[in-house]
Amino acid sequence: MVTKVVDLRSDTVTKPSEAMRAAMAAAEVDDDVLGADPTAQRFEAEMARIMGKEAALFVPSGTMGNLVSVLAHCDTRGSEVILGDNSHIHIYENGGIATLGGVHPRTVPNNPDGTMDVDKIVAAIRHRDGAMYYPTTRLICLENTHGNTGGKCLSVEYTDKVGEVAQSHGLKLHIDGARIFNASVALGVPVHRLVRAADSVSVCLSKGLGAPVGSVIVGSKDFIYKAKILRKTLGGGMRQVGILCAAAYVAVRDTVGKLADDHTKAKVLADGLKKIKQFTVDLTSVETNMVFFDIADPHITPDKLCQVLEQRNVLAMPASSKSVRLVTHYQISDSDVQYTLTCIEKAVEEILSGNAKFERLTNGTTTNSYGH
Amino acid sequence: MATKVVDLRSDTVTKPSEAMRAAMAAADVEDDILGSDPTARRFEAEMARIMGKEAALFVPSGTMANLISVLVHCDTRGSEAILGDNSHIHVYEHGGISTLGGVHPRIVANNPDGTMDIDKIVAAIRSRDGSLYYPTTRLICLENTQGNCGGKCLSVEYTDKVGEVAKTHGLKLHIDGARIFNASAALGVPVDRLVRAADSVSVGLAKGIGAPIGSVIVGSKAFIHKATILRKTLGGGIRQVGILCAAAEVAVRDTVGKLADDHRKAKVLADGLKKIEQFTVDLASVETNLVFFDMADARISPAKLCQVLEQRNVLATPIGSKSVRLAVHYQISDGDVQYTLKCIEEAVEEIITGDAKLEHLTNGATTNS
Repeated sequence: MVTKVVDLRSDTVTKPSEAMRAAMAAAEVDDDVLGADPTAQRFEAEMARIMGKEAALFVPSGTMGNLVSVLAHCDTRGSEVILGDNSHIHIYENGGIATLGGVHPRTVPNNPDGTMDVDKIVAAIRHRDGAMYYPTTRLICLENTHGNTGGKCLSVEYTDKVGEVAQSHGLKLHIDGARIFNASVALGVPVHRLVRAADSVSVCLSKGLGAPVGSVIVGSKDFIYKAKILRKTLGGGMRQVGILCAAAYVAVRDTVGKLADDHTKAKVLADGLKKIKQFTVDLTSVETNMVFFDIADPHITPDKLCQVLEQRNVLAMPASSKSVRLVTHYQISDSDVQYTLTCIEKAVEEILSGNAKFERLTNGTTTNSYGH
Repeated sequence: MATKVVDLRSDTVTKPSEAMRAAMAAADVEDDILGSDPTARRFEAEMARIMGKEAALFVPSGTMANLISVLVHCDTRGSEAILGDNSHIHVYEHGGISTLGGVHPRIVANNPDGTMDIDKIVAAIRSRDGSLYYPTTRLICLENTQGNCGGKCLSVEYTDKVGEVAKTHGLKLHIDGARIFNASAALGVPVDRLVRAADSVSVGLAKGIGAPIGSVIVGSKAFIHKATILRKTLGGGIRQVGILCAAAEVAVRDTVGKLADDHRKAKVLADGLKKIEQFTVDLASVETNLVFFDMADARISPAKLCQVLEQRNVLATPIGSKSVRLAVHYQISDGDVQYTLKCIEEAVEEIITGDAKLEHLTNGATTNS
């Protein structure tokens, strides 16, 4: 008998809904490289409108969304980009902007709230007088919500301020908006207003929005034109891509409105975890759909906890040697949340009483704690 | 009223069949990055088996398949790859192996039959003695069928010989097999035998095989492991990818057996074109599903011909200033072939008599060669 698995490893695990599957099967398609796939055109136009930019481009992953954006803004050899030291682009994208794109990264520390100090960003901008020694700064990247600091929202005021810095120094601003809709919902700011200061945004469709595949890049017509060529160069030029855009279209239509619920469930989880004395949780830190909690008891490690949870069909992600991450999404129900809390309590007890069996299940989840 | 468009621009225009659509909708999927998508695993295992290699990896395009393959074989800075001057990798992939991968290309002339002379390949291999000046040759790339030369098949004997050259010199061999199944069908050689000498092959699924998206790279387990990481780096790490693999699985099952028919239709087209005195066609040159024909009459240009054909809902590809290419695929019927020949005859007449209206339709097909 197959029991339901409560998968809290990431919001990328969402499976396509019936409506998405039907849309994929019925999608009107054409060769999007030789000509124009009508479903892709329609979807891209809609995403551009939603995000308040001139044009949009569907890509197979968030990594490609960011890579294309950075490389399109930094197409001159000798470019440098300013980004957070704890940003997804810097940590989890194989250093592609450098290894493939030849772009030099200049990191600035991320604060616990996901921001970088504006004065530190300014200080990191290379001076033109040093052009004999310095690469040329061309781009600033923000990440909203910021994943590694806990799914934190960057406010519209902060984003606008960084946008002004970029503009006054002749730089571009790119927002890694993998979870931008979560930010928009949590802040109560329309998404197009939130990213108004940005020259480009990469928007994930396959995370909380639930599409099976892909992201969208939005920006000016000129930028998207360059991005399209880069996308092909990287190997992201897909033929009858309308199949994937059809599912993404349904995802945006059906799931954006459910994100607030994910945030509520995350808070319920955090509240429940706070009651467990072996853990420390900062409740104010839970702004969107991610919950990080630290393990205060040396007998319990993140790996051990996740292994024992796996045996109860609850999947979580060890986030460091001391912490565990849980991510809610619309395919997690309220009772799944309660079940998870029960299992965590039991797991803690088992581990402390020395009764836990640490067999690895074949899923291999607990070995994969990177890149979410 | 929408008339059927006879689209001969490329075999990439094939639309997913009902069976593929149903398979996509029903696909059993998982997050293939965090874990393992079962449909992708099953499909990749099957493709590895079919191609006679240890492992396989699904990627969103042929360009990515070639890019990954070259970059994995040439992962040390200062590498050089030998490839045909008229190869797809060299001509149509944005020079990505260099601009993104830092790999230096060393071209060798492609013969009209798609091969490169063996002695010229050997001569292009850099001597270790020159390593103070020379990049290090690490890879030879073949393309089967060779597209720009007319969809030409590289024989298994030739492929094996190049494989021996590679081995003797400590190089790897990659085959751009976007249309490898066409080669296998035309040569009557099982596809795994055809590519046995290769360390890696990129296999097109979205061309004549008819899947909506993708290619597969096949090779050793170690090679595919590296390829998987590079795929993610390039941005090809797709989550519930089983959706696309489900369609590809159906495509391989249902369409490989139809390729011989595409070749037959291509020959019928070529025969018909030969009868038109304003064209020159080399019938012996039509080995698979591609037909190239040259304009012998100065009044007819490839662009003009394709424009007039577009008005009759027949789409073709102008190649340079002198030729036109037609690509046959399983969604082109025998009736479509006859209709195409008739339209071409009429188009020629119209252009010569000066009656042709040369408007560009919005499709833009004729600008995208």
